[in-house]
Amino acid sequence: MPGSSRTRNFFEPLERSEVAAMWRERFGIPESAFDGYRFYRKAQSVWVVSDVDLPGLSYEALGMRMMDLKGRVWKPTTCALQVFGRLASRNMVHLDDDQARAFLAGGTQEIESATEPGYAVVFYRGEVLGCGLYSRGRLISQIPKEMRSAGCQEGDET
Amino acid sequence: MDWLERYRRIVPDFEDFKAAQQRRLLPSARINLLKTERSRAMEHLEEEGAKARPFEWYPLGLQLDSERAGKLRANLLGYIHIQEELSMVPPLVLDPKPGERVLDLCASPGSKTTQISQMMGNRGLVVANEPSLSRIAPLRSNCERLGALNVAITRYDGRRFPRGPFDKVLVDAPCSSEGRARRDPKVLSRCSPKRSLDLQRLQIGLLKNALRLARAGGLVVYSTCTYAPEENEMVVESALNEARLERISIPGLRESPGITEWDGSDLSEELSCTARYYPHMNDTGGFFVARLIKN
Repeated sequence: MPGSSRTRNFFEPLERSEVAAMWRERFGIPESAFDGYRFYRKAQSVWVVSDVDLPGLSYEALGMRMMDLKGRVWKPTTCALQVFGRLASRNMVHLDDDQARAFLAGGTQEIESATEPGYAVVFYRGEVLGCGLYSRGRLISQIPKEMRSAGCQEGDET
Repeated sequence: MDWLERYRRIVPDFEDFKAAQQRRLLPSARINLLKTERSRAMEHLEEEGAKARPFEWYPLGLQLDSERAGKLRANLLGYIHIQEELSMVPPLVLDPKPGERVLDLCASPGSKTTQISQMMGNRGLVVANEPSLSRIAPLRSNCERLGALNVAITRYDGRRFPRGPFDKVLVDAPCSSEGRARRDPKVLSRCSPKRSLDLQRLQIGLLKNALRLARAGGLVVYSTCTYAPEENEMVVESALNEARLERISIPGLRESPGITEWDGSDLSEELSCTARYYPHMNDTGGFFVARLIKN
């Protein structure tokens, strides 16, 4: 049942090479990092899902929302950077203990970095924390509210 | 009036069962191998001063001694997921393999969905269905945080989910949740025979459709977090003309066999293959699990 009309109507398939080129250009991530995945566009978002035939169903979500195309420049999601950002070779920011804590809380801070203005992969001790917006010496955390260490959040669940 | 008294005749060591309801249950979590390694997750927990003790029966499951488990960095980064201990049982009974096509019919908030995805190493497909729009958001956010990339989310009424076939289907059905009473004693105040029978109608509809959606010889796991036979054995019994039961045994976890008599009526003897988990036997909540093979 791959590629039924309903799947196509809402989630439009994208070429892997097209998505990979954008990530290579901004972050220097090799195209091979995206082998084994499929990509779809729905409205102003790009989604990534494991490479598998999808039955003809009406879908709310496929895998993970990976990119937001609304703005002047595209924005990677924090979750997608946590999966694919490890292989970045450009536009990275490395944080120390205190900076990482502030970043995870959703804060903005002064950081000296050689990174170009725009979205950056934020690292702490070799692990990707998520997406930051770097501009004029300031790093603005883009961690989604429900993943921040500060503020209220639904904790326990079954 | 104590609602749990109705189970005096079916729960072994009933006074111990009653006493266990009063004891505090520590939070628990599952290590998420889709995002990290076991050792790295444990390092993060140790750095934050969260004492973590692995379950004897499941090395990826941890008992956590932490006041703010949901706010731990390991949880926010998706290295662990806060999940009830017994909620980790149904995916193990389902035993999904990489490359299979699996349906999780009542998926939100996605604890079992993401465990299934992890067991499949993100290969193959998990269709995670959730009818309620407001419950789609937590399901999505958990799948994304945990890096479960082989999950596709749908929003059908599970009784009318349109088409398969699937190799395996999990029906973790809406239920009266009596097994959550150690976390939230209020659940018991909402229980009544009428409520269980109303839920039973829904549960039978879900299980029948799950069997329709599974391939011939495919596996359907039915689970609840309640003790009510109306929502457990009596639901499974309604499906026994379309499937056979396989006995459930998780090494290191003590189960009690499903009951074959309730309220003066005999039920199928085959139902003793299903498993009941009680708080006093493993220091957990309560759960019911059945493993059905479609004819």
